[in-house]
Amino acid sequence: MTQYVLAVVLGLLFGVGTFLVLRRDVVRVVWGVSILSQAANVYLVTMGGLEGAVPILAEHGNGHGATPTDPLVQALVLTAIVIGFGTTAFALALTYRVYQTHGTIDTTELGGEAQ
Amino acid sequence: MTEQIVIAPLIVALVAAIATLGTKYWPRLQRAVSVLGGVAYLAVVALLFQTVQAEGILTYQLSDWAAPFGISVVADSLTAFMLVLGAVVSFVALAFAATYVDEFGQRLSFHPLFHFMMVGVSGSFLTGDIFNLFVWFEVMLMSSYVLVVFYSGAEHTKAALQYVVLNLVGSAIMLLSIGGLYSVTGTLNMADLARRLADPAAYGIDPAPVLGLSVILFAVFALKAGIVPFHWWVPAAYRAAPAPVSAVLAGVVKKVGVYAIIRLYFTIFSVATFGDLGLPGFAGDSLLAFYGPILFVMAAASIFLGGFGAIDRDNLDDLLAYSSIGQVGFIILPLAIGATATGVVPGTGGTTIRTLAITAALIYTVNHGLAKGGLFLVSGAVYEAVGTIEFDDLGGLSERAPTLSVAFLVAALALVGIPPLSGFFGKFLVFDTAVQAVAVDAPGAELALVVALGGAILTIAYVTRAWNRGFWGPPSELVEDAYSPRQQVAIALLLVVAVVAVGIGFDPVFRAAEDAARAATNTGAYRDAVLFLGGGLV
Repeated sequence: MTQYVLAVVLGLLFGVGTFLVLRRDVVRVVWGVSILSQAANVYLVTMGGLEGAVPILAEHGNGHGATPTDPLVQALVLTAIVIGFGTTAFALALTYRVYQTHGTIDTTELGGEAQ
Repeated sequence: MTEQIVIAPLIVALVAAIATLGTKYWPRLQRAVSVLGGVAYLAVVALLFQTVQAEGILTYQLSDWAAPFGISVVADSLTAFMLVLGAVVSFVALAFAATYVDEFGQRLSFHPLFHFMMVGVSGSFLTGDIFNLFVWFEVMLMSSYVLVVFYSGAEHTKAALQYVVLNLVGSAIMLLSIGGLYSVTGTLNMADLARRLADPAAYGIDPAPVLGLSVILFAVFALKAGIVPFHWWVPAAYRAAPAPVSAVLAGVVKKVGVYAIIRLYFTIFSVATFGDLGLPGFAGDSLLAFYGPILFVMAAASIFLGGFGAIDRDNLDDLLAYSSIGQVGFIILPLAIGATATGVVPGTGGTTIRTLAITAALIYTVNHGLAKGGLFLVSGAVYEAVGTIEFDDLGGLSERAPTLSVAFLVAALALVGIPPLSGFFGKFLVFDTAVQAVAVDAPGAELALVVALGGAILTIAYVTRAWNRGFWGPPSELVEDAYSPRQQVAIALLLVVAVVAVGIGFDPVFRAAEDAARAATNTGAYRDAVLFLGGGLV
């Protein structure tokens, strides 16, 4: 059941992210990119498998012999979250600078300016 | 003990970056530290190259975790070859930047960013782990974002915004592909990936999804390399970035994408074979057979779009950026032939067409890295001298600045492929690959020959046009008042001299490239070296 829910959620997240990336407002574009990268993170966790116990010493070591969930993807996601955090902050700062230099953050108006 | 040399380029670049951060209140010292960092980087890369030549593939397991579990850092001939190219181009660009970028900009952030970018580049070349490759890409991109928006004027912020958003989407897509690959194959280590894909049944893997996932990953690498249809960020970004940064972006960072394509597709994924997947035009054999036509179409589109685009540009940087798109097409074209054509080149005693193709791509990479890097530096020097790089305001530079003009001419002729410059051998090997492929009846090889010929003619056209409009004829008003930035011209000349030197002393370069190509196609040696299969350990 969980996997279907996650599949739908992932689909929605990618849909929303793509929709926002295609907006005219640069801030929404940045949100869109941010959602896309978070969706990729959720996808990564899903790819590691959802079944299984806590990796280390589930139930004081008396777990029911269950194989632990793959912890590698979680480590990967942590790295990806940190990188995503930095890039989003930079993208937002850049957006502000675009507003300062152009007086607009509308991509249509930005694109319409002379080169 | 020698294995530590593998991570030396990373450490040197990192130390240089931090040292330049720490010395920002003493501008002269900072500049000296930065250039010294460049020299040290060049030295360790040379040492690494030599060690790899002598001892074969070197690996370094981070924290001593054995191969498939920890992160492996691997240096083989291909890695060493790319590192040397990167070190040479980036060092000259760094020296140029020290005289070109304004005082405030240098003090603020230029030097640390530049070295951090080189950390990312070295890491991408050296890593043996696909998730780690993603991390190094990010390190490289983060610095390049800031370097593209460095002047932070109106057009720079606009170009950077496009560049940043595009690459962020690219990173998210790369993560998707990596997650998928991990889920399908159960490993992230490239060598382990090769082992599992070669014998999927033994590891209980269904390799079919790998094809689709590798296509997603390919789109990301094509974006980094700026191949059509992922090329449209190139002109704006190269125009916005300071000249020495454009030189490194075109000469080194783009080549990281090319390297990733060669390493992952020709070394790792090439071992995967597929049953009949019901794809039109793909009879279900090796993965590379699937990529042959794709690479060919993208290479041909790049060559023509870049070539035609470059002809009617009004701005020198714009012209060089479009030319970069076309020239990367020339690097990808032999790869396309090598992916399709199997067989041995007649009369060489065992060199496969695939090896020849990768050799051609690598030689062309060297030529493009040196020549285009030099041209961007020349463009920077022209801007410094005249105050503009719009062709309408230029003209007659050959009278006012003869040395600078000679530098431009020689580097531009290298792009065209005139002997004895490095470009001649690049073009020659691309044609040779196509001709040999025709000789063994590879499908579409004649077409590749036609594309290469058309591209060569386009190159002549836009180079001639740039020369006529910018350097020939009576000097314009602005050119009359130009001064000569001697230091910058001298530094730009270094790359031009390198172009000539590679052309004249071509044999060692060719042998190094051939070694690199052999390493790229020898999946078994790569796998065994990383996983210690030869040495008895797991």
